[in-house]
Amino acid sequence: MENPATVSLMHRYRRIAGPYMLVIALVAIGAILAVLNPRFLAPANLVNVIRQISINGILAIGVTYVLLTGGVDLSLGSVAALAGVFAASLAHPGAAPLAAAVLAGIFAGSGCGLVNGIVVTRGRVPSFIATLGMMTAARGLALVVSQGRPVTGLSPGFAQIAAGDCLGIPYPVLILVAVAALSHVFLRHVWAGRYIYAVGGNENAARASGIDVDRVKLLAYVACGAAAGLGGVVLASRITAGQPNAAFGYELDAIAAAVIGGTSLSGGVGTVSGTLLGALLIGEINNGLDLLNVSSYYQQIAKGLIIVGAVCAQQRARK
Amino acid sequence: MKLIRSYPTASKHRGKTAALLAAAILGAAFLACCRPAQKPAAGAPRGRQIVIGVSLLNLSSEFIVMLDQAMETRAAELGVKLIVNDAQRDAARQVQQAENFIAQRVDAIILNPCEVDGSSPAVEKARAAGIPVVNVNSETRATPTAFVGSHDEESGRIAMNYIAQRLGGKGNIVMIQGFLGQAAQIERAQGAREVLAKNPGLHLIADQTADWDRAKAMSLMENWIQSYGGKINAVFAQNDEMGIGALHALEQAHLKDKVPVVGIDAIAEALQMVKAGRLDATVFQDARAQGSTAVDVACRIVRGQPYDKQAFIPFRLVTTANIGEFAR
Repeated sequence: MENPATVSLMHRYRRIAGPYMLVIALVAIGAILAVLNPRFLAPANLVNVIRQISINGILAIGVTYVLLTGGVDLSLGSVAALAGVFAASLAHPGAAPLAAAVLAGIFAGSGCGLVNGIVVTRGRVPSFIATLGMMTAARGLALVVSQGRPVTGLSPGFAQIAAGDCLGIPYPVLILVAVAALSHVFLRHVWAGRYIYAVGGNENAARASGIDVDRVKLLAYVACGAAAGLGGVVLASRITAGQPNAAFGYELDAIAAAVIGGTSLSGGVGTVSGTLLGALLIGEINNGLDLLNVSSYYQQIAKGLIIVGAVCAQQRARK
Repeated sequence: MKLIRSYPTASKHRGKTAALLAAAILGAAFLACCRPAQKPAAGAPRGRQIVIGVSLLNLSSEFIVMLDQAMETRAAELGVKLIVNDAQRDAARQVQQAENFIAQRVDAIILNPCEVDGSSPAVEKARAAGIPVVNVNSETRATPTAFVGSHDEESGRIAMNYIAQRLGGKGNIVMIQGFLGQAAQIERAQGAREVLAKNPGLHLIADQTADWDRAKAMSLMENWIQSYGGKINAVFAQNDEMGIGALHALEQAHLKDKVPVVGIDAIAEALQMVKAGRLDATVFQDARAQGSTAVDVACRIVRGQPYDKQAFIPFRLVTTANIGEFAR
């Protein structure tokens, strides 16, 4: 029989090992990149990396909510594009207050999330299918609203959302940090957030203990939609256009970030900090490979290997 | 004139493929039964409206939307009926659409190919069924009845020549590539490299793909600014979307004044930016002329009139000097 003290120690090691492995991976890859190109560690480049991950980070935190319930959201990219088109339509100089444009994007995203949630909970449609439908429909709606053309001519104020900074920290990074902090507190310390873990961990047990499972799931999809909406607004500001075909495939980057960060696709396991680290790892690789001018063909192979490798390393640490 | 448009959604499409196939077979059988009552399809169908099936690469791209509008305008003028399908970048879907057109016995097909090889069966099947095919804007491996478009190499040459001239034949260039493996990417890169080979003073210090996407090009340019900084003397983006992305990155790094940026396609936003003096140049690909010429050629083939097997619409460089001709 094993000594209970050792078991508890192993347990503690395992609990911290997941995110710890990720930090090791992040630092190790960073060190390699820094040796190959010293500019990687220049402060300007580090700011550059976190600015570039901010949109994926916001989307990844959003999808973490849904992944925690045991579902998945494939509509993120399309919803972000739709939100960007809506926001941009209100962002022409003098068209509407800046806040209205931003809120329009977030509401458009939340609305799509609400529909996803209703279809999943009331319609009993698997989330993969429900959000696959939304992925196509939201993209179509974005094309209809924009008539297939990018919405341009945006006000300088709207462009500042992505281009501006506060004491050298770009606004998108501040937005990401705010979303992460809010989500962390909500998921850890607010009852509704804790219910999300309960539902994803064991749906029947959650129902038996009196949790309104459908309402909790609905909440997760709306939160995810709102994050996609916000991400779409930041994206539209960054490229100074509401583009109906923007954010193509972003859902996969977001899901990859969450999964690298230790979120389980079967629900109940995952953290906001892990997701952030996952997004950071993807951003670090993208930036590093560009800096090293690795051929586009090899970049794709390298990214795939590093993503799978990171998840493998974590799984080993957890067992 | 009535236009029939279809936007097949991925889920709808997959879910109902069997039903669609059944409908197509039934429709073909029905038409085949009706055939003897009508005049044979070959030759000029006098007294009957010409019907042309159009399969477009991707209606969510601004350039293709312009191409589509030009075709519809010309078709309305000629009293021709167009059936417009969107292949959504999917060659397999494009082949299905061609099969549906064959089943409907359209008089001609205008194909705006998704892929050089992948879309070839669409051309082969239609021609085997005796239906003429006009390829517009890009090419397929299979030979169509006629081709209307531009040589993409030419656009790459024009853009890079402009850079060579701006830099006085000396300097470091970065190239942002389109989606790797697509005809436009391969040919634009080839045209640009031809010019580079003739100018030993020009150095291509980096080239990467940004998948024709503005946001990706912006991130890529930001990363290049970090690694090369002031060493970059000019940027060649294989389309305007990516050029605009690079432009934003350079402007935010306060480097734009020193680094000319050139794109291709002359989309509306790029023209506005050339006019405002932000984008240095773009290369105009004449969507209107391509679209209307394609409809013209298709009608001439159907009517048995002489036509050009290859109609090339030239590219033109757009800079502040001649922007007045292009920007409205």
